[in-house]
Amino acid sequence: MKQEQLPPRVLEAYIGEYASGKSENAVNRAIELAGLGRRVTLVDLDLVEPCYTLRPLKRALGEKGVIVLAWDTSELIGLGETGNILKPEVRFCLRHPGDVILDIGYGASGVQVLNLVEGAVEERDLKVYAVINIARPMTATVPDIIDHVKLLSKVDGLINNSHLGEETDLEFIQEGAWVVKEAAAALGLPVVATSVMEQLAAEIGETDWYGHQVRALQRYLPQAFW
Amino acid sequence: MGEKPIKGEQKAFMTGNEAVAWAALAAGADIMYGYPITPQNEIMQYWTRLAPKYEKKFLQTEDELSAGFTTVGGVLAGRRAFTATAGPGNVLMQEPMSMAEAMRIPTVVVVQQRGGPSTATVIYSQQEVTLTCFGGNGEGLRVVYSTSSHQELFDYTIKAFNTAWKYRFPTFVLADGYQAKMRESLVLYDPQEKGQKMVPTEAFVGKPGTPGEDRAPAHLRNTYNIEEELMDELAKDIKEYEEMTPEITEYEEFNTQDTDVLIVAHGIVFRSVAMAARELAEEGLKVGYFRPITLRPFPRQELQKAAAKAKQILVVESAYGQLLKMVKDNLYGLDVPIKGYLRPGVGITPEEVVADVRTILGEEE
Amino acid sequence: MKVLPKIPKSWNLETKPHKFCPGCGHGLILKALGQVIDELGIQDRVVFGCDIGCSLLSWDFFNVDSVQTHHGRTTPVMVGIKRANPELVVVAYMGDGGGYAIGSQHLVNAATRDDKITVLLVNNTNYAMTGGQMAPTTMPGQKTETTPYGRDVSEAGYPMMGPEMVAAISQDGAYVARGSVARFRKLKEYIKKALENQMAMRGFSFVETLSTCPTNWRTNAEQTWAFLEDEMTKQYPPGELKTPTGKEG
Repeated sequence: MKQEQLPPRVLEAYIGEYASGKSENAVNRAIELAGLGRRVTLVDLDLVEPCYTLRPLKRALGEKGVIVLAWDTSELIGLGETGNILKPEVRFCLRHPGDVILDIGYGASGVQVLNLVEGAVEERDLKVYAVINIARPMTATVPDIIDHVKLLSKVDGLINNSHLGEETDLEFIQEGAWVVKEAAAALGLPVVATSVMEQLAAEIGETDWYGHQVRALQRYLPQAFW
Repeated sequence: MGEKPIKGEQKAFMTGNEAVAWAALAAGADIMYGYPITPQNEIMQYWTRLAPKYEKKFLQTEDELSAGFTTVGGVLAGRRAFTATAGPGNVLMQEPMSMAEAMRIPTVVVVQQRGGPSTATVIYSQQEVTLTCFGGNGEGLRVVYSTSSHQELFDYTIKAFNTAWKYRFPTFVLADGYQAKMRESLVLYDPQEKGQKMVPTEAFVGKPGTPGEDRAPAHLRNTYNIEEELMDELAKDIKEYEEMTPEITEYEEFNTQDTDVLIVAHGIVFRSVAMAARELAEEGLKVGYFRPITLRPFPRQELQKAAAKAKQILVVESAYGQLLKMVKDNLYGLDVPIKGYLRPGVGITPEEVVADVRTILGEEE
Repeated sequence: MKVLPKIPKSWNLETKPHKFCPGCGHGLILKALGQVIDELGIQDRVVFGCDIGCSLLSWDFFNVDSVQTHHGRTTPVMVGIKRANPELVVVAYMGDGGGYAIGSQHLVNAATRDDKITVLLVNNTNYAMTGGQMAPTTMPGQKTETTPYGRDVSEAGYPMMGPEMVAAISQDGAYVARGSVARFRKLKEYIKKALENQMAMRGFSFVETLSTCPTNWRTNAEQTWAFLEDEMTKQYPPGELKTPTGKEG
């Protein structure tokens, strides 16, 4: 993979529908940055389905050098039923030195959720990436994606993360890359990457069929639940 | 306190619902919460007539959810509190009783079964067995006594308070509309005079002293953070339930040594079955019965023992297989054949039982 | 002049700092309640009941006997306790979903029966713990997870005017008020009057509190305050709706 030119502070927020792959992208990005010896804080801002995201991975991520801001399930009574409680330090996560990666759950108010983070709206270096999987019915076509991203409001780029779980093949990823490219063009946004599970990423190469950078993902989240 | 409601032994002739109200008084119940539903209304009606004389309380609630949850509240305050319901009311009652089950709150509920599903009928039925034993989103950690006479309604209503407060599992007295409404004689008594000590109650909240200073505050909950925490809690409850089981299971049996037909029945239907079995036995036929009195916990070993000596088991019930399922579950592994005489929501006479047993015996000859 | 301690004595310090979101109003309401419990000297006889939803996070908040119940069922549990032992001072603490939707029959009937209990209901215009769905109190046009295009009153109905309803159905001895976390002194005064009303056995007492939920509103501090002060108070005017003396505050 080509070495990316990284700014002094990487500030990125990943947002998307349920099962779009936003958390997988955020986790991989955080681990990648930590692997470069950078200080990385990963923030759980998934207020929609919080118990299925970062909490159970906290320890494993910590061992990889990533600082995780998320509740421990054992800290809060009632979280078994999906508690939706903001951890106070999340509000000030952008004050952490170094890189900050945010995992944002999809909601009716889109990226307005960033209002909860002090300084997020004013922070010009914070990039919000919408993670798109065309296997999700609400982001399956170019017009669907355009509607979806408009609803999210402030978005700086799209990531094609089209997949069908274990049944993903190259043809499907290519279709996703094309659909996302078309939607991005209509929205006037860049396609930041095509993210793919590492086995398939090797088959595609450094860039995909349309010149988008390929990000190889390792799978972390399935371990979160089981 | 007011004067004692019952002195000495008193022969009385009354309905089953009245027997329950008198039993609750005799047991020293402090407060009843209830919502009208046939066929248990007269329990409330007699309780409200008797209660003021003995400084007892009553609250008519807005529905059975409230009746159940106010009963939970009454128990938390350390009072012998109870409620009564039936049919669709018993369906609503499951929500508060699942809280009682989770928090080991010793509630007492009298259920006068109706026909079901839905509104259905109000007189004769055994269709709330599964609901009462296993209702709610849990494992059925409750005690269910199935009565078959007014004397038993009186005896087991008193006993229910003691079982509940001793073991802290929600306890049910399961009868039906027929028992509720029919009249027969029974003996009323004060359990304490007969040497049957009432298990003392204890407040869960509002104990003496200032919490955090003189004592720890009661922080009671039914929500857990993590799966393992819940499983630990349940494992403890299940263990205590299983330890309690041999101490409280009750049953009755007749002629169970080497039977051609062993009839299994509970509650009101058991009365017909007992008459039928005795009649057939007098003719020299090898017919016996086994009657579980506690449906939860079920007298498993005792039934297995009786069933091992039987050629055929016949389950008779006014439901379509609710007791039958429990019997099969408890006899798993035995190769004795099991038949059902299943009449959901209708009465069963001794003659019908006799005829069915004769058919079985005829088939075998 | 007597200076109140910063942290109420009746608070359970072992569970502090509390776990409510930053900017959430629950902490303020529970602070007011804690101060009132201290001032009335009733820590030894208060029973605090909390519902399901964010209110359940208060199950071990105080050094008072506390019971976490089921969704909507805190009112009947507290009624049951009060009826069985009138010496106790019971507080049913719940959200708008618990009080106005799933448990509305209990609220209506406890108020009508004039049960001598205190219901403290938190109105934050949404179901917060489950992720921000529409509540009975969601404002017309307000976006929630189940009204993603805004609450359309022709489809989803109108906001529930809880204290107005309770004032209409309750008896002469009842106390009914709507406070706001933006007016802490008033709120505390209402909660105190509500508990005093119960202690005097005058009647049912009910305080709805307009509260904040930045997490689900997706608002920063300024927007949170603006929504509470400018939007919510227009729909839900704070003040006393019924006092046992018959005077309106």
